[in-house]
Amino acid sequence: MTVMLEARNLKKTFTLHNQQGVVLDVLEGVDFDLSSGEMVVLKGPSGTGKSTLLRILYGNYRPVAGSVRIWHEGKMVDIVGARASLVLDIRRKTVSFVSQFLRVIPRISTLAIVMDPMLSRGIQEKDARDRAAEMLKQLRLPERLWGLAPTTFSGGEQQRVNIARSFVAPTPLMLLDEPTASLDAENRDIVVNLIESTRKAGAAIAGIFHDETVSDRIATRSISL
Amino acid sequence: MKDEALLTATNVTRTFGGRGGCRDISLALWPGEVLGIVGESGSGKTTLLRTLAGFDRPDSGHITFHLAGKPIDLYGMDEASRRALMRTEWGMVHQNPRDGLRLDVSAGANIGESLMAKGERHYGHIRKSACDWLARVEIDPARIDDNPKSFSGGMQQRLQIARVLVARPRLVLMDEPTGGLDVSVQARLLDLLRVLVRDLGIAAIVVTHDLAVARLLTDRLIVMKNSEIIEEGLTDQVLDDPHHAYTQLLTSSVLSV
Repeated sequence: MTVMLEARNLKKTFTLHNQQGVVLDVLEGVDFDLSSGEMVVLKGPSGTGKSTLLRILYGNYRPVAGSVRIWHEGKMVDIVGARASLVLDIRRKTVSFVSQFLRVIPRISTLAIVMDPMLSRGIQEKDARDRAAEMLKQLRLPERLWGLAPTTFSGGEQQRVNIARSFVAPTPLMLLDEPTASLDAENRDIVVNLIESTRKAGAAIAGIFHDETVSDRIATRSISL
Repeated sequence: MKDEALLTATNVTRTFGGRGGCRDISLALWPGEVLGIVGESGSGKTTLLRTLAGFDRPDSGHITFHLAGKPIDLYGMDEASRRALMRTEWGMVHQNPRDGLRLDVSAGANIGESLMAKGERHYGHIRKSACDWLARVEIDPARIDDNPKSFSGGMQQRLQIARVLVARPRLVLMDEPTGGLDVSVQARLLDLLRVLVRDLGIAAIVVTHDLAVARLLTDRLIVMKNSEIIEEGLTDQVLDDPHHAYTQLLTSSVLSV
């Protein structure tokens, strides 16, 4: 097991300048570690900062204090305050964030959306196309939808497109924010199996799941916030 | 991405008789990176872009372009060399396509001219490239001999982009590239720009007041207000976790459909 992520002493506050300057203290002195082959579930009621922590680990939210060191290309790199191009490079190769929402350019086909992260990592178009098709099949998204843009899809279909895009070529470190939120039981099982096999293949995964049966099944460890 | 910046601005100020413009701007652009500049009208976005592009000399400060590992002071060189550099290494996509196109020559000639400026002389090659690029920007190549005056606004904008990108510039500067286009054309154009920037590995600076455009197209964002940079960071950091009061106002004011 390689240590993939080491967060120390994280502190996060939000200052709402346009709402009477209210200051929200969300995280204080939080440590978090994640190794390859682990699936760590973040637990706690709404509003305790689970998503905030996950977003800090991705470099999306900027913590007030603390460090987030990620194992990237053979060394530990602190992403807090790192140069933008370095963070982007880490996101391209090492860490990905899967939210419950699909955010895409309108009018772009489902297949192209799933291929996109592979193309930006330099995988050949033909190869990317085959792998994208395979993944969409595995997630049981009907082939007649592949050429369509997902804007008009149901919530569950959009979520599966999002999962396909993220898991078709998984990064060594994956952060999941309720990726199964709007799936029915059968599709949820498929996604849970996909997460499991990605972990067993060596990925380090941290996630938030409101569904207890899901989190109990896939967690190798859980922490409460 | 490489370790050396392609373009750096150091304490650049350009005002209009002491008012407006941009003040004390420092920034760096890395190869393959797309930088967005957002802010309200009159915050100095376009002034900054034109100064970075070599059109307008700053009152003070320096702009350095790295060409083959050698730093060049953009406004320290003579006018002719600066123009030559802008013609071969740079491309500017204007907000109004009529500013970036020559309306009295054909679509094909608009694209071909850029190639000729880079030294291409073989007519057959030029015509073939022009055809390819029309297809890439989704204009029917059969219209190669038509005058861009007969094109719609969206087609003119796409033609302008082809004219700029055919020369394979290392740096592209765009001023509201999707402004004034209807939303269906906007989406297409954004995807086109994104894919071209990725495939050609060019660096770009995009001025926009549309945060959705910024999110789709840019890696990094600079927020300007009253001629100064008030916040910067990765695009998703600035939009999802804005720190400055003005940025918070900007991101919370967007209407969602």
